[in-house]
Amino acid sequence: MTQAPSSASPLGRLWKTLTSLRLTLVLLILLALVSLIGTVRVQVFDSLWFLVPLGIFVLNLTACLIRGLPRAVRRSRHRLTAAAALELPERARFSWPHNPNPQSQVEKALKRELGAVHQTASEDRIVYFWERGRFRPLGPYVVHLALLVILAGALLGKFLGVQGQLTLREGEGSSDFISEGKEKPLDFQARLDKFQVFYYPNGTPREFRSDLTLTKPGKPPVQAVCRVNDPVTFGGFTFYQSSYGHVVRFEVNEGENSHVVEAPVGRTMEIPGGRARFRVLEYQPDLVMPGGGQEKRLGPAARLAYWEGRGHPLIIVVLKNRPELADRQPGPHRFFLKGSNFFSVLQVKRDPGVWWVYAGFLLLLPGFYLAFLRPAERWALVLRRNQQGTWQGRLLGAAPRAREAFQERLERLQEILQKGGTA
Amino acid sequence: MISQILGGVMLAYLVAGLLFLAALLWSSSRLKGFALGLLGGALAAQTLAFFARWLASYNQAMIATPPVGWADKLQLIIHQVPLSNFYESLVFFSWCLACLALFFLHRYGESFLGVVGGLLASLVLAYASLGTDSSIKPLMPALKSNWLLIHVITCFLGYAAFGLAFGAGLLFLMQAYTDHPKSPAPPLLDRLMYRAAVIGFIFLTLGILTGAVWAETAWGRYWSWDPKETSSLITWFIYAALLHARLVKGWQGRPIAWLAVVGFGAVLFTYLGVSFLLPGLHSYLN
Repeated sequence: MTQAPSSASPLGRLWKTLTSLRLTLVLLILLALVSLIGTVRVQVFDSLWFLVPLGIFVLNLTACLIRGLPRAVRRSRHRLTAAAALELPERARFSWPHNPNPQSQVEKALKRELGAVHQTASEDRIVYFWERGRFRPLGPYVVHLALLVILAGALLGKFLGVQGQLTLREGEGSSDFISEGKEKPLDFQARLDKFQVFYYPNGTPREFRSDLTLTKPGKPPVQAVCRVNDPVTFGGFTFYQSSYGHVVRFEVNEGENSHVVEAPVGRTMEIPGGRARFRVLEYQPDLVMPGGGQEKRLGPAARLAYWEGRGHPLIIVVLKNRPELADRQPGPHRFFLKGSNFFSVLQVKRDPGVWWVYAGFLLLLPGFYLAFLRPAERWALVLRRNQQGTWQGRLLGAAPRAREAFQERLERLQEILQKGGTA
Repeated sequence: MISQILGGVMLAYLVAGLLFLAALLWSSSRLKGFALGLLGGALAAQTLAFFARWLASYNQAMIATPPVGWADKLQLIIHQVPLSNFYESLVFFSWCLACLALFFLHRYGESFLGVVGGLLASLVLAYASLGTDSSIKPLMPALKSNWLLIHVITCFLGYAAFGLAFGAGLLFLMQAYTDHPKSPAPPLLDRLMYRAAVIGFIFLTLGILTGAVWAETAWGRYWSWDPKETSSLITWFIYAALLHARLVKGWQGRPIAWLAVVGFGAVLFTYLGVSFLLPGLHSYLN
């Protein structure tokens, strides 16, 4: 606050607005409302409707940090001293007869309730004092700093990071991946050796697994296994198991002509010659049919949609183990299922900001601890011997942000201290 | 067996809530003591049921993927924590509500906490047992993570704390807009709203953080504006506003109560609305 310009100048007014809590509240509500739209329209988060309030929010956070942090640091550097403790408001008085000396009893009581207590003694009195939560004023600023670190990490990731996809068939290798529609180079080769899906007894998938070989030029290859929740990091990039599918290999005959077509499931393929197209709608590595009380296993099977010219699609089922059924297929083409393998889709990413984000996450924890769980609390007990020789005690204390806990402790202290004498 | 226990627990929560109400109306400490015992006993029974389901879930998974060695075993135990579908989340939510109600009752001794906590817990549990599929399903690959446990626990403790803040806020508003006798005292309600909102805010933040770290390890994106993420952020904004208004501006009473009520609306939207209305990784639709 000391260096801040006076509030009369335009700059001063701007500063005052930027550090005001009203702005914070308006921004929080505004961000909440814009985000509400964002639950159905994700694009909102890339638009100015979100970025402008977020930018002002960052300014607001920074301004509050600049204004408040030095003061909070100064306050938390001041340890409670006996002199300062004597300034605390008085909460209770006690008196004890001159014999026995209540000192040890008082010390025991304080120790039981508060733990280790400081004390200073002069000729006529002893001051016991104790404090907790000296660093509490730092808490909110640590939290706000953590939020800024997280946002800085997000910004770093946005501008210096890369995200993309790498689609590999089994046996295929690649030295680049697709990011935002463009090819981006990797400075190594990633090869998919094998892709596997494991199932539970009830048929739902249990695990997706890509076995990769990663090779830097001139270096020995490295084997790695990429699974869901178990990414692989290599050469500055991280690979995440994202999706997979089958590539089905067909021999397509048309009269004397024969072609081999490799068709990924779901993609429409042109048959060489250009007169017809087909798409694999579904592929089963082992088609199981219920029949006669016993399951019948028919082996690999594919269901195709087949178009000749501009006509309606026809549905064809092709079984690898029953090639003779091809004669029943409509149209001039005969499909024979020859085999299949997997393709695996890996999410590829490099994000230098993620460590900043994690650092911010970690910083939030002590921030919350200080801000919410460590309210400042100060106590002092002044023990003095009267002229009559009796002992008098004054209990002082304050805890502006934890009134209930303070009140409870006050009651307990009163109770245990009074056991030493009468109030 | 487990579902029978939970049926009993549901009934016990309901009766405990009503007993707390009766204790409040006739200011009877005997009724209150009885209600406390019932609530505590039901909570203990539900805790047992939780561990029983954990064991059942572990045993089922063990058949499909027998663990090799103790590290593998521990991993499987952590993965099989019964917090992986809608039914299990509802049961845990009701547990959190009862647990936090008991915690606040211990601190403040106000019967209305038992009314709010007991009735809400019973309602949620009733919905779980009547409206959802309770069978134990094998875990899908995306949920096989050590983060599942801590993520779900922190989120639901947060939701439950916000639920109590909502109860206190609603009571506060009812008192403020009608001529009901002012019991419990408004300042106490105000403090309770604040304390519960603080606890909820801490846990919600932890829930969001653990979710982000998990998303990073699973999909390589700590934040992808998935509807669940977005609405949890909305909730976070609302409670951040509440805490700032109260802590820095010193607002008390009505505006805070309104924020606690609106905030819980956002919590419900985060928990249920998103999961049923919008597709995404947190969807409970299938």
